[in-house]
Amino acid sequence: MAAPVNKRSDCWRTPEVHKHHEQQRVCISRPKYREGRKAKAVKVYTINLESRYLMVQGVPAIGVMTELIQLCALYGVVEEYRPLDEYPAEEFTEVYLVKFQKLTSARAAKRNMDEKSFYGGVLHVCYVPEYETVEDTRLKLQDRRSYIARAARNRAKEREHTETTQESPTSLDAATSLSKILTRHEGTFKKENTREVLNVSHHSEFPPLPLPPQEHYSFRQKSYRRIVPTEDKMGTLHNAFSHLEQEQVESLGANATTSGRDRDTEGRLGSTPVSGVQFLPRIARLENRKRKMEQSEELAASSSGKNEPLIGPKLPEPPKLDMEDESLNTTVSHIRSTMKQVGSVPDLKPVEKKAKARRRI
Amino acid sequence: MRKNESAEAPERFAYLQSLVTEFQDTDSEEAKEQVLANLANFAYDPKNMEYLRELQVPDLFLDMLTEDNENFVEFGMGGLCNLSMDPECRDIILQSDGISLVTSCLSNRREETVLSAITTLMNLATPTTRSQLSEPGILQCMLRFSLAQSPRLRNLAAVFLQDCCSEEQVRQAQQQMQGHQTAIGIPLPKE
Repeated sequence: MAAPVNKRSDCWRTPEVHKHHEQQRVCISRPKYREGRKAKAVKVYTINLESRYLMVQGVPAIGVMTELIQLCALYGVVEEYRPLDEYPAEEFTEVYLVKFQKLTSARAAKRNMDEKSFYGGVLHVCYVPEYETVEDTRLKLQDRRSYIARAARNRAKEREHTETTQESPTSLDAATSLSKILTRHEGTFKKENTREVLNVSHHSEFPPLPLPPQEHYSFRQKSYRRIVPTEDKMGTLHNAFSHLEQEQVESLGANATTSGRDRDTEGRLGSTPVSGVQFLPRIARLENRKRKMEQSEELAASSSGKNEPLIGPKLPEPPKLDMEDESLNTTVSHIRSTMKQVGSVPDLKPVEKKAKARRRI
Repeated sequence: MRKNESAEAPERFAYLQSLVTEFQDTDSEEAKEQVLANLANFAYDPKNMEYLRELQVPDLFLDMLTEDNENFVEFGMGGLCNLSMDPECRDIILQSDGISLVTSCLSNRREETVLSAITTLMNLATPTTRSQLSEPGILQCMLRFSLAQSPRLRNLAAVFLQDCCSEEQVRQAQQQMQGHQTAIGIPLPKE
């Protein structure tokens, strides 16, 4: 990672203070039904406000630039960075400019780093599209357009798919739907491509997966989808959307890879849905315990850069749930039988779970 | 899948519908602003496009462009910027005479509104609308923006001039501008 000051490029000139760098006042007058989990300002997010350039304010001036860039690098490749010495900073803090290779990385970094404490300071992270070159801006818009077009095509395809087939949950179906989900994100999440390809092939390595594990597989996705977004510290609203999408890819990846490893536990995994899908209120205390665990694991998770580790260690826990409570066991079997009847395909559930979680933002 | 689809998709739809209803029913300017911003942000997610189309939100946003409240204009324009990325929404916007409504926002005082307008116009570019988008008035506007202080405005205008019209058209617009020398004096949007 180099931090050369590119004199030719317009983007490393003396910074100006723009209004959109400031944190806006949060709105406190929203009625309950459209209240998010996090207080936010009344603001509309468009692609124009996003950028792969981030400005990080509030970095304690104690020589932690390396640590800051290492932290940033957890969310994607950092192409360039430099301190913005000329930018007005609060006393004893520094301001940095960080240029990511991809917008999705910048988005993840902003979401995860903004308003987080860092060596005793609280970071304020914002997009700084004014550092883009004309070409940066063009590519950003093109990427966004093709992402939306692809999403539209996939939706149309999915609709056809749903109408024409009553799929049975064979592993083949799961594999195709998995790849379908993955292709939907291919452009925006190129970074994960290698992993995705790996996952798909990984998945098809086990074509004879029996039916019950398939159900669990989808259940697990379901429950994570439900839980993870709820627990997650959301960034801005639009971040939240894509965050969920990203999460989906990642949790899928984690599921695919762990399904081999944790096969012996799969039989018990059927209890997972209970925690996430329908009986949230009854096991609220268990949820809380989980939440605490997740929070403590987040540090560990960030050390490897992705959310996967978050998912891995959680797997063994659910079985305990259904040991504890007889009615929960009843519930599990009830859900199992319902699932058999429905005989559904896993791919749409994640989408809809996302839908649900998203709605609650 | 079928079960889920019938159980959950309507929830999303119903929520968006309740927003639209609140927007229409409320007398509170503040609530309207909040709901409008909500809807515009929902338009960022491709999953909502279909529902927003069904609820005629593209037309709702277009209506906002002629409001006096500048927040309404900004949020409506932002929503259109998000929606117009989707080809089907784009076509709806075009059918509702979107180009002229959006073009009128190029002279808005707020930079964010102008930026959304430029991006929206680029999104509205199709083989059939290209001639409309490259008319001298718009190009002269972009030429002025390309000289602006604000890098975001400058960059977006540059992309527009490079991608949405021919060099010849730009040259012609430049000549016309020199003809009656209006480049100086027209206020640029403030941030």
